[in-house]
Amino acid sequence: MPKSKFLVAALPAILISSAALAAGETIAVFTKNQTNPYFQTVRVGAEVAAKSLGAKAVHYIPTKPDSIPEQLSQVEDVIVKKPSAIVFVPVDYKAMVPGVEQINDAKIPIVNVTDRSAGGKFLAFVGADDYSLGLETARFLLKEIGGKGNVVILEGVKGSLTNIDRVRGFNDAIKEFKDVKLLASQPANYQRLQGLQVMENLMQSHPQIDGVLAANDAMAIGVIEALDGANRKAKVVGINGTKEAVDAIKTGKLLASGDYNGFLQGCIGTLVAIRALRNEPIVTEVVLKPTVVNASNFQPYDSPLESRSCPSWSEAAALASK
Amino acid sequence: MTDQAVSSASPRLPAVPGVAVALAGLSLFFALASPGFLTAGNLSNVLVQSVILLLLALPMTLIIMTEGLDLSMGAVLTLASLVLALIVVATQSLALGLIGALAVGLAFGLVNGWLIAGLSIPPFVATLGTLGAAQGLALVVSDGQSVVGIPRFVRLVYSGETFGIPTPILIGAGFYALFHILLYHTRFGTYVCALGGNRDALTLAGVAWKRLLVAVYMLGGAMAGVAALLMTARINAGHPTAAIGLEFDAIAAVALGGTSFDKGNGWLFGTLLGVLTVGVLRNGLNLMAVPSSVQVACIGALVIAALLVDSLRSTRS
Amino acid sequence: MSIASDATTRPVGLHLSRETQQLAYRLLAVALLCLALSVATEAFFTANNILNVLRQASLLFFLASGLTLVILTGGLDLSVGANIGVSACFAATVIKATGSPVLGTLTGLATGLVIGICNGLMVAKLRIPSFIATYGMLWVLHGITYYYMAGETIHGFPPGFRQIGSGYFLGVPIPVYLMLGFLLAGTIFAQRTIWGQQIYAIGANPVAARLTGIPVDRRLILVYAFSGAMAGVASIVFLARLNSAEGDIGEAMTLPAIAAALIGGASLFGGVGSVFGTFIGALILTLVLNGMNLLAVNANWQPLVTGLIVILAVWFDMVGRRRT
Repeated sequence: MPKSKFLVAALPAILISSAALAAGETIAVFTKNQTNPYFQTVRVGAEVAAKSLGAKAVHYIPTKPDSIPEQLSQVEDVIVKKPSAIVFVPVDYKAMVPGVEQINDAKIPIVNVTDRSAGGKFLAFVGADDYSLGLETARFLLKEIGGKGNVVILEGVKGSLTNIDRVRGFNDAIKEFKDVKLLASQPANYQRLQGLQVMENLMQSHPQIDGVLAANDAMAIGVIEALDGANRKAKVVGINGTKEAVDAIKTGKLLASGDYNGFLQGCIGTLVAIRALRNEPIVTEVVLKPTVVNASNFQPYDSPLESRSCPSWSEAAALASK
Repeated sequence: MTDQAVSSASPRLPAVPGVAVALAGLSLFFALASPGFLTAGNLSNVLVQSVILLLLALPMTLIIMTEGLDLSMGAVLTLASLVLALIVVATQSLALGLIGALAVGLAFGLVNGWLIAGLSIPPFVATLGTLGAAQGLALVVSDGQSVVGIPRFVRLVYSGETFGIPTPILIGAGFYALFHILLYHTRFGTYVCALGGNRDALTLAGVAWKRLLVAVYMLGGAMAGVAALLMTARINAGHPTAAIGLEFDAIAAVALGGTSFDKGNGWLFGTLLGVLTVGVLRNGLNLMAVPSSVQVACIGALVIAALLVDSLRSTRS
Repeated sequence: MSIASDATTRPVGLHLSRETQQLAYRLLAVALLCLALSVATEAFFTANNILNVLRQASLLFFLASGLTLVILTGGLDLSVGANIGVSACFAATVIKATGSPVLGTLTGLATGLVIGICNGLMVAKLRIPSFIATYGMLWVLHGITYYYMAGETIHGFPPGFRQIGSGYFLGVPIPVYLMLGFLLAGTIFAQRTIWGQQIYAIGANPVAARLTGIPVDRRLILVYAFSGAMAGVASIVFLARLNSAEGDIGEAMTLPAIAAALIGGASLFGGVGSVFGTFIGALILTLVLNGMNLLAVNANWQPLVTGLIVILAVWFDMVGRRRT
């Protein structure tokens, strides 16, 4: 649920609170946009971790979603402020490298979260393996439809790292099942409405669709609405494990959602940054194992984000590969 | 005779323009509220960040003075940047890449000008169409992927220094001077002023104003090509959505600067102030760590407020 | 005096006939497009797909129809997409909090309307150019939505409410009825009422309109209010169709809505265009998209094709206008 704050009343409070923030470490957290629920889970994870260690997380989000020049400007502005450390989700893994290098030059420690940057020096990378996420989620669906039938893929934004790897995972899973036929693979840009409309159109040309592999939850939810509207049935999977997807799994409309665990990524990324500042041992590579959230294991995902807690350091370190 | 007919359209400056008040007020506020703001490093930061927007806003001022508009600039910049990146990666030649980017810009400028002056299609529609075309071509030539492997010498265009001053600031200052001379000290500039609201005078004077209008849009395209060089150098890549929507920022900066949409009254220095106001606002809000959602609303409020100040003044006088 | 009478008679008499002619050409374009798609793929010309296209066009039409009235006065409303976002999020909150779809719907419509009135006041009373006023409004609305939603979504609405977006009556989707209703009402309002004719007159010649005693300011506020309210309508149908609200719900809709009005023959100089033309424009845009999906055309080409259609349609009008 949204926070029911009133904009005008809150503005002075924000200005005061930001001026008063001096004690403890300040962790600047960069995410891609304000609209995708996934990045909200990263931000909340970072906040919970920072609070648990007496530090403060400050968020920098481009005002235009996924804007490269704007994130670069924010990086430059933040370097002036010299935060203690930075937790960084690049809006584009290649184009943001100059920004990372500027941060390196300014000697501000930085942790890479979610999308692995193509360059620059990081304390650590914390993310998920999109390829195996796509692979496992697709396998789950393909087994569920009995290893045979017609499937379609809904792709995300062309050229984004997450989309390339997830779709590759989907395709490799389909190759494992000889009796499964891929009817179409069309982009719906991670958008709900586009997911809905592309599915409506695909249903016109394909009378029998047994499974739908969507590269994120928003498109998967759109697909479900399209199926409902046409009174047709197909098994649908998405990726991200969002609250909405969990609700749809509960009611049996969505088969499963590959969990990307943004909350945990935000947690561990921030823990690593703060521990490095305090000269405590850290890990340098955490690639979270994919979880396919489904009707049998959704319970832990069914609690509000803010009330979840970060893992202890020993639990977090156990997830590390380096 | 010609000059007399035309001079009546030359810009009238408001006494104390809203944009100057806004820039001064914001600067003072941020200087007091955020200690990092008034440092040499940060101020050069703001200037460098504003250059790409300025390169678009300068020709946009001229275009708006002709009662026109160019919505395709951001998309053309993006396409030019991709073309530049592809050429530079393939040939390792900055000159060839820049020529490619300028060619893209000029070609789109020519098409825009031809649609608007030749076919009399309203500028908003014509450039909305070419926006789609440029955006589509950007996706097609890149297949939605970013183009990487830009050589180091290209990056130096953005991150390097010349005579101890960041190169982008020099580029921005140079083009500002160029546009100032062009607009206020050449016949071309006088005609541009007349193109908005005084076209009949130009026709009477036997000026081929359609060709002039095409030239104005080609100038806009060429500047998008120049900006493409800085953008590519900045992000060290060509990216198919790098500058989408930047034209609206440029239009807002021009409007903030007091250039009017319907009378052809333009003010180049106001555009510079408008660009800087947007830059200072974003920088200051970032320094104060104001949440992104509040920043979004502040930008909107600023645009409306600055225009309101000017509109109140003009109705009073 | 002669100028004034000229301005009031021109939109009524002369341009209707030319407009009819241009609408006929547009209908012909739709027919050709349909014919081509039917030849290209069997999946196109089925009752299901036609209803599908109409339902998809309806969302665009709601937005574009209100916008058309604004464009008729020579203005522009860039805030409609952002308006959908705010209206949908507020409506969703109310539905969730009270469980009443009626209250939620009223909230969505009222939010859209209030935003529209604000736009109208800025344009008519404060004399801010509509392009800038509504662009500023767009940013303000985005800020409010982002702040309010904080990256979350609101989802899961009562089945009764969902009917507005995904229900059927006699085999035809409900949004299609809504679209036809608004099409009829909009056409009657614009062509057959005094207020509608005054709106045309304002766009054709604002100075003359003022001289003839048309309350220009009030009519301007009215059209922006309409545009806002239609964004409210769109937000409700959106909510009911998607079963969820998120901050960027309408962001990608503004330029297509403007494009629909322009393809439909509206002129940004004001005074020319019609709600029915906009309906055709929305239909053409949706058909192209549908066809590209059915034929599995690479989506990268989509902006390019849309851009070319906009230019072609307007150029066609220019040629027609010069000939008459």
